[in-house]
Parts: sequence; C-alpha cells; structure tokens
Amino acid sequence: MSAIRSVFSEKKSAFIPYISLGDPTYEACVGWADALIRGGADILELGIPFSDPVADGPVIQKAFKRALANPFSMEIVLETTAKIHALHPHVPLVYLTYFNPIFSYGFEKFAAEAKISGIEGMIIPDLPYDTPETENLFFSLQKRGIDLIHLVTPATAPSRMKGIRDFASGFIYYVTSYGVTGERAALSSGLEERIRMTQSLFSLPVSAGFGISNPEQAKEISEYADGIIIGSAVQRIIEENSYNPDLCRKKLEEYALSISKSLRGHR
Amino acid sequence: MAKERSFTEKEGYFGDFGGRYAPEILTEALIELEETYLKLCKNKKFLKELEFYRKNYIGRPSPITFAERLTKAWGGARVWLKREDLNHTGAHKINNTIGQALIAKAMGKRRIIAETGAGQHGVATATVGAMFQFETAIFMGEEDLRRQKLNAIRMEMLGAKVIGVSSGTATLKDATSEAMRDWALNVSNTHYIVGSVIGPHPFPTIVRDFQRVIGDESKKQFKKANDKLPDAVVACVGGGSNAMGMFYGFLNDKKVKLYGVEAGGRGSAPGEHSATMLFGKTGFLHGTKTLVIQDDGGQVVPAHSVSAGLDYPGVGPEHAFLHSSGRVKYETVSDQGALDAFMEVCRIEGIIPALETAHAFRFAKDLAKELGKKKDILLCLSGRGDKDVAEVARLVGLYQGAEF
Repeated sequence: MSAIRSVFSEKKSAFIPYISLGDPTYEACVGWADALIRGGADILELGIPFSDPVADGPVIQKAFKRALANPFSMEIVLETTAKIHALHPHVPLVYLTYFNPIFSYGFEKFAAEAKISGIEGMIIPDLPYDTPETENLFFSLQKRGIDLIHLVTPATAPSRMKGIRDFASGFIYYVTSYGVTGERAALSSGLEERIRMTQSLFSLPVSAGFGISNPEQAKEISEYADGIIIGSAVQRIIEENSYNPDLCRKKLEEYALSISKSLRGHR
Repeated sequence: MAKERSFTEKEGYFGDFGGRYAPEILTEALIELEETYLKLCKNKKFLKELEFYRKNYIGRPSPITFAERLTKAWGGARVWLKREDLNHTGAHKINNTIGQALIAKAMGKRRIIAETGAGQHGVATATVGAMFQFETAIFMGEEDLRRQKLNAIRMEMLGAKVIGVSSGTATLKDATSEAMRDWALNVSNTHYIVGSVIGPHPFPTIVRDFQRVIGDESKKQFKKANDKLPDAVVACVGGGSNAMGMFYGFLNDKKVKLYGVEAGGRGSAPGEHSATMLFGKTGFLHGTKTLVIQDDGGQVVPAHSVSAGLDYPGVGPEHAFLHSSGRVKYETVSDQGALDAFMEVCRIEGIIPALETAHAFRFAKDLAKELGKKKDILLCLSGRGDKDVAEVARLVGLYQGAEF
C-alpha cells in the first residue's frame, strides 16, 4: 500500500491542506508547512507556481504571482520540498502542478528527483487521463511508487470515470463544485450522492476539494468523504499574515487544528 | 467543411501538436462540442443556414483586389489582396463567430463568452450575440482595453458585457485564462467562442473549418482571374486563424509557397516579441500542446507586439505542425516595420489595414522584390485598421495631444 493510501482509514477522514510554494518566499513556506502539519494535516499539497493557472481562482492566482516574483526553478521547488519532508518524514507530500513546468524539466528526471525530495503523489489539473503524456507519466511515477491523483468533477460522466481508473492511484480528488478553486458559502447539491457514486466506481479513497473553507463545511462533508482538501482558505491566511511569519504560523496551526478536529473520527 | 477533414489531423492532433489538455471540469463540454459539431457538419439545414449568413450577413464572398499601386511602388511581384476587411464588422473574425453561434444555438446554450486582444473577435462575438440574442460577455486585458478603446465601446453598444482582466500581463493571454475560468463555472449554459485556432480539441479544428472559406474562395477567385495559382500566399499570425483559413485552401498545392508572419516586436529578448515559431518551445498552454514562448523553468513569458492582436505567447497547434513539417515558412516583422507598412499601405493603396495585417504587408514588400516581376503574391488582408488609428497616430506622432 502506498504511503498515501495508508493515511486513509474507514474511521476517520483525512485533512489535506494546500500551500503555494514560494509565497512569499521558499524559505517561509517551510514554516507554513510545519504549522499545518502540527495542526493535524495528514497529507500536505504543495503547489508548484505556474504563470497561467487556468483551474485556479483569484487567491491562488495571486499566490503564484507573488511566488513568481522570486526566481523560479525546479531545483528550488525540490529543495524546499526536501526541507519540509525532513521535518515531518511521515506526512506524505503531494505536488499540485500544471503540466508545462514538469514537461519542460523532463518528467522522467522530475519523477526521480521528486521521489528523492519526499514526494508521494502528483495532481495535475490540466493533464486529463486520456492523453499520451498521462500514460507515460503514470508508469514513470508508478515505478517509483509515486501516485498519480486524478480529478473527478460534477461534470464527469461515469463512463469517463471508468477510463480514469486505469491511470489513477493514491486517492481521487473530487471537485465539489463547478468553476475554479476558491472559498464558497454554499456547496453544490447532491454532493453526498456524487461522492458515494465515485467511491463505488473506484477502489480508491475519495477526497473532496474546491470551495471548502470552514470547520462546519469540513465536518459535514467528512461524514461521507474520505478526505477534505482545503487550498484557498489556507492560502488566504498566508496572504493576510505572511508579513509577520510568527503570527502567520500560529494562525495556520490554529486553523488546521480547527479543521482537523471537526473531521469525522478526529484524533 | 468537415467532409474534407485535414490530412494533418488525427484525433485532435496535428502531428505531435494539439490534443485536449483542459481541466477535467471542461472535458465533457469539449466532448459534447465535438460530437455536436461532427453532426452539424453533415446536417444540410445547418450548412444552408451557415451559407445564408455568410452571404447575407457577412457579405461573402469577399473580393480579391489587385493592388496595382503597391505592385508598382514595390517594383516586383504582382500583389493581390484577399479583402477580409470588407466583411461585416471589418475582419475575418466574423466567419468563425457566426459558425460557432450557430453551434451554440444548436446546443441550446443561452450565453456566449469570448476572449479578445485587439477586440475584433470581441466585436464579432458581440455582433452574433446581438444577432442571435445571447447573453454575451467578453474578456479583455486592461492593457488592450486602453489600446483598443473603440472596439470595447463597439462591444458595449452591441449589448455585450466587457470584463477587464487585470491579472498577469493584462493582455490576451490573461483574457484567455479568465474566459476559461468563466467557462468552468458556467459550462452548463455557456458556450465559449474561442477566437483563434488555439485551445483544446476541437477548437483548433472548428475555427479552422469556419475560416477555411478564406482560402477556398481565394483559390477559386485567383484561378478565375489569372488562370493559375499565386506563387506565394502571405498572412499574419498571432494565434493564427486568418492564416490557417487562408493556407488551408493551398496546402496541397505544393508549388504555392506559404508564409506566416509573426510579430518581431522590439527585439529578440524575452518579453520583447511574439515570435513563437522562432523562439517558442513545445509546451502546454490554454488546453493545447503547441509551441509556447517560455523560460527555462516552463513559465510562459509575456509576449509583446505593437498590435494587440498578435501578442500571444503561443500559436495554433496546426501551425506548429506546419512549421515542423516545413510546409509553411514563418517569418517576423518588427513593430517599426509594421508601422511603416501601415502608413505606406494607407497612402499608396487607399486602404487602412489592421496593424496585424501590416506585418504581412511589410514582409510581402521584401518578398515581392525577391520573387520579381511576373510572379504573384496573394496576401490575406485580415481586417481593417480603424481600431488602430489612435494608437498608430500616437506612435507615429500624428495629431499629438488630440483626444480620440
């Protein structure tokens, strides 16, 4: 069983927060990651900045813009990842990235070095399962024990989910609502039914993300989802508080605690 | 249309380029679009309706004009112009928006959205929005709104909502990203009218099929007038829709040399040009695999051109393929070269061309000399330059201080 799969259990729902690497500096991100893990993160998603993040809303777009004000290189991304991994080696790290930076770096090289840095999974929102690159990447990652985590959305037909199955591992990222990433007051109707249907089609845990921001929402969804992914709400805390790193870490840890305690079967 | 599907195309790919690399939330809509389009291509009623609007609304066929005075001034090959500037709304963009509006209608969508750089695609989309009574939203970079105010006003007058985009470089690239985000949110009731031969499959194919009328007509018209084919065909390339439409009629005629002209901007440094063929590397942008101007880390580099319609850091995937196969040669013309050609064409031929097309004119001037007399160049005059007069006047120092 992969390191990611072993996080999920039938008794509790996993908490999976997200941060954009490099916002506002790569060094500072190590502190944000540490705080989130101390607050109860079971898996941590690390966003690799990209100039044209079409699946992301304003909060993460702005985070990437701030990150790209620093010189960007895959080397610094991998180094920062390794530092986070060294602090908490038992917490699986997952990259969330657009495909172009990986393709540009060479994905064989990337996969090998990501594994060494401590990466256990990859999420690539602009790489659908039915492309030649997915097949190559999936097997390249698989031989190194890295999971390729796919997105399933309210618009994904069951026939398409069956296609995704052949190239999916780790967990399924269920997109709770139409649109891009960002906090939302209300979640889409029929969510429980869709997530249960997704669970029945995949022999993988299903984590829900996009639009979840507060403990009440997290608690409600954790009753049926295997994990809760929160990106924009975490990133907003960083946006508002990174001028004071100590305060920012404190707020991130408190927020993470509030979410992790709200989840089904919390520790 | 699709009955003669491209020999360059296989399942949404053109050689190694193309494909569908869009967020999962859009994939079902792209599949629905592809299926609907394939059915409509064979539907006589749809084709008849398209033909009706081409003739009675766009004003097709657009003529080809012998540019007698330019030919004389340049002292070389004969120069012929395919007059897309004479279409309703003043550019080739309407060929595509009429077609896609009919698809949107067939799919039962109530809302259309588009991205625009120079604004011609925005105006063409706003026009069909009014014509077919769609709710219409147009995404336009703040920098382009400044440069192309006239077109933004035209869009508003036509009833469209113009949404300024301030993220990123505030130009076409970011307007495209924002349109994709809107589509992801409203995909159930909205059709995204992509304006060039870019984006995820099936957009590059659909846009090309609606634009190939330019090349098909040109070929017939030129043959009828000259009893031969032109020796060279020239068109400007940003995303590449007018060029793709023009070239498509001649791809199989190996003796006809095809030239695409990109924006060389101010220089060769990153951020100073939009010369994707010269400086781009294979990459993934806005849902397609194509040549992209990017840095060593795979980050997309902002493009520059004096023409808001050309400053896109990618290019249509079919162009990337035609470049790699060598069938089309891609050249560059600088901002200054385009401005010089703009003024020259105005004064010699009595035509105000779009700044985009001015790049093609500047290249054609050299080509005319190179080819020499008794040869023929056919140039796609993709649009008229009314939208550019204020910006050109500012740049060349005409009417300084005047308010436009």
